[in-house]
Amino acid sequence: MKRISTTTILILFSTMLFAQGDSGTNNFFASNLKIFVPVGVLTIILLCLFVFLFDIEKRLKKLEDAKN
Amino acid sequence: MKWIYSTWWKWISVVLLTYVVACSFFVPLGPGITKVSPLGFYPDSVYTFQINTSHAHFLSPQAGKVQLWFKNQNNYFAPISFKVTSNTTVEAQFAVGSVQQNNFKPSNFDVVLNDDLDGTFALRDAVTLVASATVDSSFKALAFSIEPEVKSNHHKLICFPYREILYETIRNTFFHVPMWFVMTMLAFTSFLASIRYLASGKPEQDLLAEQSVIVALLFGTCGYLTGLLWAKYTWYIGVSWSDVIRKLLLEDIKMAAALVAMFFYAAYLILRSAIDDENKRARISAVYNIFAFVIFIMCVFVLPRLTDSMHPGNGGNPAFSKYDLDSTLRLFFYPAVIGWIVLGYWILSVLIRIQLLSKKQKS
Repeated sequence: MKRISTTTILILFSTMLFAQGDSGTNNFFASNLKIFVPVGVLTIILLCLFVFLFDIEKRLKKLEDAKN
Repeated sequence: MKWIYSTWWKWISVVLLTYVVACSFFVPLGPGITKVSPLGFYPDSVYTFQINTSHAHFLSPQAGKVQLWFKNQNNYFAPISFKVTSNTTVEAQFAVGSVQQNNFKPSNFDVVLNDDLDGTFALRDAVTLVASATVDSSFKALAFSIEPEVKSNHHKLICFPYREILYETIRNTFFHVPMWFVMTMLAFTSFLASIRYLASGKPEQDLLAEQSVIVALLFGTCGYLTGLLWAKYTWYIGVSWSDVIRKLLLEDIKMAAALVAMFFYAAYLILRSAIDDENKRARISAVYNIFAFVIFIMCVFVLPRLTDSMHPGNGGNPAFSKYDLDSTLRLFFYPAVIGWIVLGYWILSVLIRIQLLSKKQKS
């Protein structure tokens, strides 16, 4: 859980990197009637689920190691 | 808690989410006007306007007669001439007489299109009449107000509503919105489990309460991050990311309140890890959890409705159901909500099983 919250916070901070150079409506996400926004949204959800899955797997691995 | 070991209900999530993700992207947007040029005109000559649309079907045999009007307040004006140049573009000539230039206040005209297949669609305040200081009596053309006659205002297509500003992002209704439904359901599960724990003292109820909060936070995070992306390209186009986050927290009460609610649940997990004695930890955190759920409901559902918020359905804004005349959104929205909720419980069941296994090993 600690790892997940750290990742989330760091992702939020990484958004600051895009603070410069946003060229308004000529933006990639704003093009083609904004179709890439739902694509981005789906990607975010998938990435969150993957990070979480890796975390679960790590916990499971610990259990398996203890068993052996 | 036998449900965590059975498999059949997990397939509900697989089927529904596959259907939503795969099929919803095949449904196009409804017809809409994307661009009218020129944007302004003067009462001195006849102007030719190029009108671009998206997802219109002017050349389709089912379209029938394509019609266009310029609309000022409640009056419709026919163009001088009008022709369909392609399946999605039309050209119209229009003029306003110099003597009638002051009749239009405000002097913005909507462009309204209609055909039998696409129904009626319009661009609000598409063109502006710029009145000149003096009346030029040499220009004699006049705009005549007419009574429009259409076969049907409603389209005959399978499509999602075309909304200016939103455009294709209306599809996020199936992804961003259900995240919060899942979080609410899991928070409610946790709340019930905490009450049951206090009533019965069964340790598995405490386990259910804790793991539900973890999954609720996962979906809350998903909801928050997706909301950030959606908000930036809907409310704050051209605003830098750091400004978007600051503005959202200050200007949209729902964003701030949801963050507070998530912090309350994060504090629940911290509180748990701070108490070593197992019984004491379970009892104290159960009491805290009941209050956390009440605060969560207040923050996410009550507070944004009391004050102003940019979210649909809050602060006096219409919800999406108002736009969805033919319920095409509902065809995907309800399956999406059920699918995501079942996925949430699926993840929850895996977490509980891992915890039960580790407890078994310890004893």
